[in-house]
Amino acid sequence: MGWLTLLWLAPALGGFLVFAPGKGRAPRWVALAVSLGVLAYSFWLLAPYAPGEGGWGLEESGAPWLFGIQYHLAADGLSMVLCWLTAFLTVVCVLSSWEKEVPAGYWAAFLFLEAAVLGVFLARDLLVFYIFWEAVLLPMFFIIGVWGSDGRRKAAVKFFLFTFFGSLFLLLGILCLVTFHHAATGTWTWDMARLDGNSVPPSAAIWVLACLLIGFGVKVPLVPLHTWLPDAHTEAPAAGSVMLAGVLLKMGLYGIMRLGFGAFSDLTWQILPWLAALAAVNIIYGSVCAAVQDDLKRLIAYSSVAHLGFCVLGVLSRTPEGLAGGTLQMVNHGLTTGALFLLVGALYERGHKRGVGDFGDLVDRAPWLSVCFAISVLASIGVPGLNGFVGEFMCLAGITRVIPVFALAGAAGIVLSAAYSLPAYQRVFWGEPGPSSVSAKISDLGALDKAVLGVLLALMFWIGLCPGPLLAVIEPAAAALARAPSLGVQP
Amino acid sequence: MIPSVWAVLGLPALWPQATLAAAALFTLGAGMFPGFSRPALRLVTVAALLAAVFQLRLAAPGLAGHPLISLDGLGLAWQGLFCLGALPAALLLDWDDEVPPALLLGSVLGMGLLAASGNLLLLFIGLEFMSLPAYSLVARPGPRGERASLEAAVKYFFAGGLAGALFLLGMALHYHQTGSLLLVRAVDGPLERAAVALMGAAALFKVGAFPLHFWLPDVYESTQSDLAGFLSTSMKAAGVFLLLRIASILPASPLAAALPWMGAATALFGALLALRQTRLQRLLAYSSISHAGNLVLGVGAWAAQGAMPEAAAPVFFYLTAYLFMSNGIFVFLKAAGVAEWNDLKGLGARNPGAAAGAAALAFCLAGIPPTGGFFAKFFVWWEAVKAGLYFPAAVAALASLTALGYYLGMVREMWLEPASAGAARGDDSDEFSPERAVVWACAAGAVLLGLAPWIFKGLLGRIL
Repeated sequence: MGWLTLLWLAPALGGFLVFAPGKGRAPRWVALAVSLGVLAYSFWLLAPYAPGEGGWGLEESGAPWLFGIQYHLAADGLSMVLCWLTAFLTVVCVLSSWEKEVPAGYWAAFLFLEAAVLGVFLARDLLVFYIFWEAVLLPMFFIIGVWGSDGRRKAAVKFFLFTFFGSLFLLLGILCLVTFHHAATGTWTWDMARLDGNSVPPSAAIWVLACLLIGFGVKVPLVPLHTWLPDAHTEAPAAGSVMLAGVLLKMGLYGIMRLGFGAFSDLTWQILPWLAALAAVNIIYGSVCAAVQDDLKRLIAYSSVAHLGFCVLGVLSRTPEGLAGGTLQMVNHGLTTGALFLLVGALYERGHKRGVGDFGDLVDRAPWLSVCFAISVLASIGVPGLNGFVGEFMCLAGITRVIPVFALAGAAGIVLSAAYSLPAYQRVFWGEPGPSSVSAKISDLGALDKAVLGVLLALMFWIGLCPGPLLAVIEPAAAALARAPSLGVQP
Repeated sequence: MIPSVWAVLGLPALWPQATLAAAALFTLGAGMFPGFSRPALRLVTVAALLAAVFQLRLAAPGLAGHPLISLDGLGLAWQGLFCLGALPAALLLDWDDEVPPALLLGSVLGMGLLAASGNLLLLFIGLEFMSLPAYSLVARPGPRGERASLEAAVKYFFAGGLAGALFLLGMALHYHQTGSLLLVRAVDGPLERAAVALMGAAALFKVGAFPLHFWLPDVYESTQSDLAGFLSTSMKAAGVFLLLRIASILPASPLAAALPWMGAATALFGALLALRQTRLQRLLAYSSISHAGNLVLGVGAWAAQGAMPEAAAPVFFYLTAYLFMSNGIFVFLKAAGVAEWNDLKGLGARNPGAAAGAAALAFCLAGIPPTGGFFAKFFVWWEAVKAGLYFPAAVAALASLTALGYYLGMVREMWLEPASAGAARGDDSDEFSPERAVVWACAAGAVLLGLAPWIFKGLLGRIL
C-alpha cells in the first residue's frame, strides 16, 4: 500500500476505530490521536516535495482497471497546502468539540469527512476524484442533520440534494469528456492531467464545460448556485461549519483549477469575462447579503461567498500571482472563517442565541473572546499585517493584469466586508445590551479554546507578516498551472 | 427433430433445473404429511437454490445447434441471479401449507428454462412457467388483506396473459418471416420489425417499463415483503434477460432504438410517482419501476452498440447490485415492522440495527458513491454516453436526483427525527432476528460491490 493511500485511509480506519471503546470519553481521545497523527503524517510525507519545479511531486497508482480507469493519486503544491489545511482544521474541529456530549458517531463522521476530502485533493484519476467528491456528502449530511441546531433537518437535506444535483452534472461532464477524448484519440484515459478538452467537438465543448462548471460551481459556491450555503452553515454545529467553510468550499475551486485549467484551458480562457463576472457578482452580492443579516453565522456564511469570489477572480486571471494569491486566500479563508465560526459557536453555546442584537457589552465580560474575534474580523477584511491582506492583494494584482474592471469589484468587496463586519462586531461586543440580551450568560473562553484560537491567530499573523515559506510551496504549482494553457496567452 | 425427454433431461445444461424440480416435487410431497417440519422444508428449498447455483459451474456454455437448448455465458450468469434473488424469500417467507416453497422453486425453474433456451418456443414456455407460480404466490393473503391480494393476482394474471399473447403473436410473425424459431440474429424487414416489437413489448411488460407498468405497484404492495423482494429482483432480471434476447434478434430495430427513451421515461416516471407515496411498500414498488428504467436504458445502449453478448456486463452488474439492494430494502420493511412513512420516524433510536442497514441500502439505491448502486448506475450511464444517447442519460440522471428525494427522506425520517411515541412496533432490537440479519447481509453485499468492484470484473470475465 502506498504512502499517499495511507493519508486518506488512516482517517477512514480511524473513523471505524472510534467505535471500538464504546461509550464514555474514550472515542474523542481516539479521534484526537488519529487526527493529530494524520496531521503529522501529512507534513512528514508531503513537505520534502514542497518547493519543487511545480510538477507532480508524489504519485501513486494501482493497476489499470478497465477503460482507462486507474487508481491514481498525486500531490503537487496545490494539493499539498489543501491537504495540510484539511488535516489541521480537523484537529481544530476535534479540539473545539472536546466538551460536547456527543456519541462516537460524531467523531467518526469528522474522520470520515477528513478521509473523503483528502481523497478529493489527492485524486488524479477522475473516477477516484468523483467517488471521493460524492463520499464527502454522507458524513456532512449526518453532521448537519444529527448535531446541528433547530433547522438542521431541512438544511441537511437541502445541502445533500443541491450538491448531488451539481455532482450529477459533474459526472455527465466527466463521462462526455472521457468518451470524446477516446473518440478523438483512440485511447481511454481518466487521468485529469492527460485529458484534453480540445478533443471534444467545439459545438459540444461548451456544454461539457458548462456541466463541469455547474458541478464545481455548486461547491464554490458561485451565485446563483449558492443557496444551500447559508442554511447549511447556519444550522451545522460549530465544528461542522468550520469544516464546511474551511475545507468543503475549497473543493469546488480546486476542481475548477484542475479541470478548467487542465483539460479545458483554452475554452476557460475564452469565457473568462463571463466567469470573472460571476465571481464579481459573488463578491458584491455576498457582501450585500451579509450586510443585512441579523444572525451572526449567516453573516459569516455570506461573507464566505464573497471571499470565495475573491479566490475565483485571482485564480481565473491565470497569472502566477493571481493563482498563488487565490490558493493562498483559500488557506487564509479556511483559517479566518474557521476562527470566526468557532467564536460564534462559543457565543451560541453559552447564550443559545446568535443574533447581532442579542449581545452587547461583552468586552469586559469576555476579553479574550472579544480580542480573538476582533483579530479574526480584521483578517477577514484584509487588513495589512494579517493573512487576508496578502491573499487579497495578490488576487487583485492578478486580475488587474487581465481584466482591470473586475478589480474594482474586488476593491469594493474589501470595503463592503468592512461595512458588514465592523458594525456587527461593534454591536455585539461594545454596544448597549438590549432587553433580550444574553450577555450575562457569556463567560470567557476556556483554556482549550484559547489554545486552539491562539494557534489559529498565530498562523494568521505568521502568514500575514511572513508569507514567504507558504508561498514557496504554492508558487511553483501556481506557475505550472499558469503555463498550462496551450494558447500563448500570457503575462 | 425434438429429442426425447430423457435425452433433454440428461443434459448438464439443465441439471440446475432438474435439481429445482426435484426439490419442488419433494416439498410438495413431503409437506403433505402434517408432521413434516417447516424448517426442514425451508432448508430443502434453500439448499436446492444453492445447489442450483453450484451446478451452474458444471453446465458449460455450448450446445449450439441443439433445437431447444443453447446455453451461453449470458444465460449462465443470469441463472445465478435468479437463484440468488430467490434466497431471501426462501429463507423468510411465511407460509401455512407446503405449497409456497414449491411455487417459488417452480418460478426459478421457469426462469432457468428461459435462460437456457435457444429457441423462441422454449423462451415462451419459460416465460409462462415462471409467471404462473408467481400469480399463485401473489394471490396468497398479504399485508393488505386477502381481497387486495386476490385483486393484485388477477391484475398480474391479466397483464401476464396479455404479455404472453403479444409474445405468441410476435413469435408467429417471426416464424412466418424466417421459417424457424431459433434464437439467432434475423434479417431486417418490416414484418421482422413488427415481430421484434411485439415480443419486446411482452418483455417490457415483465420488466415493468412505462407505460406497461400498471400492474406492478398493486402486485408489489399486496404481497409479503420478501416475496416482493423476489419479484423485484429475480423476476425483473428475467424480464431484462428476455429483453436482451429479443433485442439481439434485430439490434437495429425500432424497438431497440426506442428502448433508451422508454428507459429514461420509465426512470423519471417511477421516481416522480414514488415521491407521492406514503405506503412504503408501494413507494418501493415505484422505485423499482425507476430502477427498471435504468435497466432498459442499459439494454438500449447495449443494443445500440451492436448487442455483443460480452458487452452486457453493465446490465449484469446493475442487476447484481440491485439484487442485494432491493431484497434488502424489502426485507427491511418486515424486519422493522414499518408499513407507512410515518412509522419510520425515529427508527434510528428505536431499532438502530435495522435502521442502519436501511440507511446503507437507501444510499446504495440512490447511487451515492462508494456503494455498489453508484457503480451500477455509473456503468449503465457510461454505456449510454458511449452510444451517443446523451439526452436519455441526462434524464436518467435527473430521475436519480428525484429518487434521492425519497431515499434521503427515508434516512432523514429514521435518523434525523426524534423518536415519536406513537409507532412502537418492531423495537425488539436486542434479540436476533433473521430478517435483520438478511438486511445486514444485503447491505454488506451492496456496499462491498462498491468498495471493490474490480472483484466483479474478474468474476465476470470468467463467465461472459
